Amino acid sequence: MNGQSLWDLSLARYLVGCAARKAPPGLAERLEEEWLADLMVRQGAFSRIRFGLGCCWATRVIAREFGVAAAAAGSSATGNRLLVGYGGPDLSGFSRRTTAIIAIVCLHVGIFYLYLTGFTRTIVVNPARPLNGDFIDQPRTRPQPTPPQPPTFTTTTFDNVPLPDLKFKFPAAPRAITAAQSSQPSGPVQPPPTRIDRVMGGPGAGFPNTEDYYPPAARRLGEVGTSVISVCVDPRGRLTAAPRIVASSGIGQIDEGALRLASAGSGHYRPTTENGRAVAACYAFRIRFQLEDQ
Amino acid sequence: MGKRDGDVRISLQTLRALEAFLENPSDELSGADVQKRSGLASGTLYPILLRLESAGWFVSRWEAIDPVSAGRPRRRLYRLTPSGLARASGIFASFGRGVPA
Repeated sequence: MNGQSLWDLSLARYLVGCAARKAPPGLAERLEEEWLADLMVRQGAFSRIRFGLGCCWATRVIAREFGVAAAAAGSSATGNRLLVGYGGPDLSGFSRRTTAIIAIVCLHVGIFYLYLTGFTRTIVVNPARPLNGDFIDQPRTRPQPTPPQPPTFTTTTFDNVPLPDLKFKFPAAPRAITAAQSSQPSGPVQPPPTRIDRVMGGPGAGFPNTEDYYPPAARRLGEVGTSVISVCVDPRGRLTAAPRIVASSGIGQIDEGALRLASAGSGHYRPTTENGRAVAACYAFRIRFQLEDQ
Repeated sequence: MGKRDGDVRISLQTLRALEAFLENPSDELSGADVQKRSGLASGTLYPILLRLESAGWFVSRWEAIDPVSAGRPRRRLYRLTPSGLARASGIFASFGRGVPA
């Protein structure tokens, strides 16, 4: 055997000897010789030391089970008398496993008891202080909103205020009327002017087609609408001012398209006529953008 | 939890020790032999052997050698008693396992 084997064997023999000496007196010699014989069969340091530690544990179990019997029976060379005489049922109490289970059950019961009654006990030990309410003699007065003051009117009389010197400029009267007025004192009374037959103008021949000015984005989105455009047209059918929206369609693109169409139609408007004679006038007309399938 | 049979608490470790003897009930086995067959640790095995011996399941004797001439301690040999064999056989039979009689 090398040095390491002697070392672990010596340690294992020491553990076995200590374990056997703590065994009941009637079993100490037997267990020591028996364990030493079984230790010799062991191979390997770890196995031997583990065997020695196991013997220490076995001694604790044996001492608990046979300790009382050994003390009563005394020493025995073989231990047979001891085992035969005191090998009856263990009446000392519960086994370790049973004791552990009982302890666990008691612990759980205690925890449940604390959960169920712990807070109640706290409430009983530290009861809430009674609430004492004191009534205040002075009643609370809620501020009332002040009613609005009636409006006061003052009358001011301007008796001595000088009136401003207002001068108005009136447009010159037509020649025909001026002539008539000027001729009133001299000539006979002229009959009232005849009724003017006025025909409002509108888009005339050659006016652009609405399909050409339909906003593409509005067409893709399927937007339709009608815009009312006001234009001022001279007797030759040309715009005298930029057209403007009178009533929007509600869609910005439609309105813009209508304005472009109205501008492009300059020169193609049918002028307003008064008694069959073209005159410059402003009028409104509708431009409707709608899809073909509608 | 094990059950008590003949004042012995039958645990899984006890059954493994008995199984080592039931391979050949007439064999005399030392603690080292039982440990090799059952795989039980020494701290578990020797209390079981003493418990079963005190209950009459086993009988034990010293190995018939001269320790001085052999150069080693005597081994303690255990053997099943007839009553122990019958009890062990009954226990394993109740588990549905056949054992040699």
